[in-house]
Amino acid sequence: MPAKLVIQDLTHYYPDEYTGESVHALEKINLKVEEGELVTVVGPSGCGKSTLLNILAGLLPYREGLVTVDGVKIEGPGSDRGVVFQEHAILPWRSVAKNIGHGLELRGTPDQERKTRVSDFIKLVGLEGFEDKYPHELSGGMKQRCAVARTLCADPVVMLMDEPFAAVDAQTRITLQEELNRIAIATKKTIIFITHAVDEAAFLGDRCFVFSARPGRLKAIVDINIARDKRIWSEMNVDKEFLSSRDEILRLVREEVNVAIEE
Amino acid sequence: MPSRNNLNRFLAFWRHFSGANAIHLALVIFGILLVWTLISHALENPDRYLPSPIAVALSSFDMVYEGLLPSYFGDTITRLIVGSIFGLALGIPFGLILGINRTIADMFYPMMNFFQSISGIAIFPIVVVWFGNSDKTIFIVILYTSFFPIAFTVLSGVREIPMKYIHAVRTLGGTRLQIIRDVLLPGSLPHIATGSRLSIGFAWRAVIAGEMLAGREGLGWMIFTAQDVDRTSEVILGMLLIGLSWIILDHYLLRPFESDTIERWGLVQR
Repeated sequence: MPAKLVIQDLTHYYPDEYTGESVHALEKINLKVEEGELVTVVGPSGCGKSTLLNILAGLLPYREGLVTVDGVKIEGPGSDRGVVFQEHAILPWRSVAKNIGHGLELRGTPDQERKTRVSDFIKLVGLEGFEDKYPHELSGGMKQRCAVARTLCADPVVMLMDEPFAAVDAQTRITLQEELNRIAIATKKTIIFITHAVDEAAFLGDRCFVFSARPGRLKAIVDINIARDKRIWSEMNVDKEFLSSRDEILRLVREEVNVAIEE
Repeated sequence: MPSRNNLNRFLAFWRHFSGANAIHLALVIFGILLVWTLISHALENPDRYLPSPIAVALSSFDMVYEGLLPSYFGDTITRLIVGSIFGLALGIPFGLILGINRTIADMFYPMMNFFQSISGIAIFPIVVVWFGNSDKTIFIVILYTSFFPIAFTVLSGVREIPMKYIHAVRTLGGTRLQIIRDVLLPGSLPHIATGSRLSIGFAWRAVIAGEMLAGREGLGWMIFTAQDVDRTSEVILGMLLIGLSWIILDHYLLRPFESDTIERWGLVQR
């Protein structure tokens, strides 16, 4: 069976917002993500992680290379790829339920079917009782749960996550990571999760793609062979496989951070 | 929407005036009335230069009795409502279109800036040439006056909507039209509310000035003609009414609408 998402020789430059100089963001990226896999992408700041995500989301046009989902070239945004943004981007003027059902509403899913699906996903992310609340009435963690549910409810082929838990407090982050793991088991979604946190990358990923400093290259792939249902923080902290994968990722990332500093 | 909270607001308003603030406000008003009365009594011909508060109050009873005041008041309010509704109805879509499309914005922006500098009163003479001293003239001046503040506010409102919301809806599969409907319109609603309040404030001044220049019955006309026949008490009465009606309109209608939209969506952290 062919891979769900394939990136071939993706190279990208973009003009710097202030100086106008061409910035070399990504260099010959080649990778494949299999169906149902959760991969994490980690690397130092400015390694082109976000550029990659924007290209996958279709928000950023690319010229060199080829990116396909189910064999179809990515040309612009589409509901086959759902995105959870770094800062929650749920709409402040829509209630939780209306936000979660937005994707289905946009494609004209009948009301009854939409309501059923929305309530399924509200349950999945544990937002029962908050259906009619507005985003400003939610905590940071709840907002991000709502954003995850919104993306999942639209039933994308691939879910892209751009440092989604970076802005929440440490306790909430741990909970959200465990919840995402649970969601990955429940939905079997193909997920690409971008982060700069090494612990997070090792905890969530089936595989972890480590990127080099700018221009971003795929430096290494670290396999993390831990069954999904074993991934609980209280156990991971003493799990040999987890600790060795984490240390390996950490070592690879630090090499790059040092390169970035020396430059 | 305003009606939902009107009772609460009404109660809050009076609670507001029954607390310590009420005493301060009462003191200020009392002080002004006192100084006003003293000056009035010191003058040789107060009826011409500064009639006392009591004389003004008496003249208001006369005018209400004659039915003039309610009729003038009604004329002015009607003009304000009709003129500013049309001004907003044109200004809101115009601001939205300019906010959405940068090419159109670049085309029209200099023109808008140019006309914004020409106040409603400055276009009055040419409008009078076209339509004479008619209600139509006042209507056009009010429309013109209320158009710019709302158009500019809505324009900047659309532009201030964070890109992340647009990106989010695009990645959910939203089309351009759906983005306008679900992101740009609701996202600029707080600005529409603020801009409407601003526009109606400007229109309120324009209607008074317009009535004076066009010589049409209304509060503006009342204070202008009263001066001609030396009824200074009616001049002052008219001024008081203009100020008080604005405070009431603003407090009970415009501000609640503005704060409801802003608060409900939590766009301002309180």
